[in-house]
Amino acid sequence: MEKVQLGGKDIEIDEDGFIQDPDAWDESVARDLAKTEGVDDMTDEHWKVVNYLREYYLEYNMAPMIRKVCKTTGFKLKEIYDLFPSGPAKGACKVAGLPKPTGCV
Amino acid sequence: MSGRVRIKDIGLRGDQPLAEIDTDELIPLPPPYDNPGGTIQELKPDAAERMVCNLDGVVALSLPHPESPEEERALVDHFAEGLKKLFTRENNWSFLQPLTLAMEYCVGCQTCSDACHVFKASGQEIYRPTYRSEVWRRLVKKYAKPNGKLMAPLTGADVDLNWTTISRLYELAYRCNLCRRCAQVCPIGVDNGLIAHELRKLFSQELGWAPRELHEQGTVLQLQVGSSTGMNQVLVKDNVEFIDEDMTDETGIEVTTPWDKEGADVLLIHNAGEIMSWPENPGAFAIILNAAGIDWTLASEGIEYDGVNYGLFYDDVQLARIALKHVSAAKKLGVKKIVMGECGHQHKAIMTVADRILTGELRDVKRVSCLPLLEEIVFSGKIEFDPSKNDFPVTLHDPCNIVRNLGIVEPQRRILRYLCPQFREMTPHGVDNYCCGGGSGFAVMSGNNFTDWRVAVAGRMKFKQILDAFADQPGPEVKKYVCAPCSNCKGQIRDMLQYWGALEKSGITYGGLVELIVNAMVDVKEPFIKWEMH
Repeated sequence: MEKVQLGGKDIEIDEDGFIQDPDAWDESVARDLAKTEGVDDMTDEHWKVVNYLREYYLEYNMAPMIRKVCKTTGFKLKEIYDLFPSGPAKGACKVAGLPKPTGCV
Repeated sequence: MSGRVRIKDIGLRGDQPLAEIDTDELIPLPPPYDNPGGTIQELKPDAAERMVCNLDGVVALSLPHPESPEEERALVDHFAEGLKKLFTRENNWSFLQPLTLAMEYCVGCQTCSDACHVFKASGQEIYRPTYRSEVWRRLVKKYAKPNGKLMAPLTGADVDLNWTTISRLYELAYRCNLCRRCAQVCPIGVDNGLIAHELRKLFSQELGWAPRELHEQGTVLQLQVGSSTGMNQVLVKDNVEFIDEDMTDETGIEVTTPWDKEGADVLLIHNAGEIMSWPENPGAFAIILNAAGIDWTLASEGIEYDGVNYGLFYDDVQLARIALKHVSAAKKLGVKKIVMGECGHQHKAIMTVADRILTGELRDVKRVSCLPLLEEIVFSGKIEFDPSKNDFPVTLHDPCNIVRNLGIVEPQRRILRYLCPQFREMTPHGVDNYCCGGGSGFAVMSGNNFTDWRVAVAGRMKFKQILDAFADQPGPEVKKYVCAPCSNCKGQIRDMLQYWGALEKSGITYGGLVELIVNAMVDVKEPFIKWEMH
């Protein structure tokens, strides 16, 4: 697998750019991952989504339902796409250091 | 490589792609989708150092290079062994007979090429249904028949079996949606889709090569935790409880989902992706089944809450393991029948292909589609409908596995003709439909630049059909609905609408069938269909 510089560290990513070791994640890694998603400035709104995804993942070992993300953060899906152009699964989850969501999602 | 690609070219000049896709040469789409007619992101400059990139500038599978000449040799030998195994009864208990027929009889008339949405959209020689099949046929003649090599100059078996051939053939096995439209039109019944499937099976079962999304993150994960989404039994119940509450809030109807009810008339199995990404679909099922007074349940035992079986796409052993678990759990719960939710490959895997695996009492477990049941409910008079609530343009996508491959054509149409005043068919439709381009697992595969390919090339004919169906009202001010009663198709259509910006430019959204049924219910006061991105 490919290794890239994220947050000053050498980190392994898969063919979709998701980091492979969730423990390697920190806020500076998130900022660099966000750049790969075309998000140059992580605002409070970005962090609100990312922090919720991160907390849910650490508790349940998978990403939450998209509807739960919307309900908890108060953002409509369109607004999440405005924040993360590839959407909640491929964009926001990547920035939050989650593995790529699996199954027919 | 210039000029028309020959069959034997698959094994030659492995350091360069066999073909190149130029999006300007793809079949044109109507405006505003004509300029540019899509883009396929280029691979990263160092991609070829990390993985095999020798087919068409697109990489779905990220196959690593062999680490030594010995490993390369061993993999090629495994492939040759696998070719022979495909023709033995003990190793190919599933598809030996149709495969043998496909091996022996093809007259090269090319009727299938005109039927293939991938070939039709691209004109690429290597995507021709017969290209892949003829490579395979020549390999079989030369390497799996007695005296094959000796006879090769006489039999025309001019394809060399080497690393270039197998690595290209692996990617090429994933440029076919296994939609079987080619098999349907073949005058002598050759099934080129089956040949692509058997190649995938050979790669998985003999070489251990399979797409990560279908194997490690698909069947393996499902057998391990219960669902390819990663949801375990606790999480799925928690998520469905959330859906029940959400739907109750939205509709004003008390929505409850029964779990693990022994002896129920109906065990409903959803594709678990619905729960994660399209909760309004399982929510709508609950509303309809409760309103009609059906004795139904979901089940949490084993893998029973996720109907997917990606084994159908690439590996008979994984297919069998999953199908056995699905049917055994239903037997244990003592339900009258299993009803498939809106998922196409689940229909095919559990309803028909499982017949090749099940024996005795398990084989007697009744396995049926949700579509006739929904038709029965809609026309039973138990629920009051107001079709004027669905007074917007609606078209229907036919999931290949449900419609062409199982012949369930009319129930969904009778519902739509009744409940959707502006329902219109695509051209062609029914068993002659085009695949959405996400079939056979593609909708969940997104490595490297594969999403671009499956939308811009494999999904092109479908997108064109959708636009044509709504050509009378093309502007975004008129909201339009593509009804796709299949999770895999919905995932692909979502990616397609997103790729082309079709919600903004043309007002097109998508969803399942049950959502339209609930939207037309008199008791549901607020619109159930939300005209927003989902």
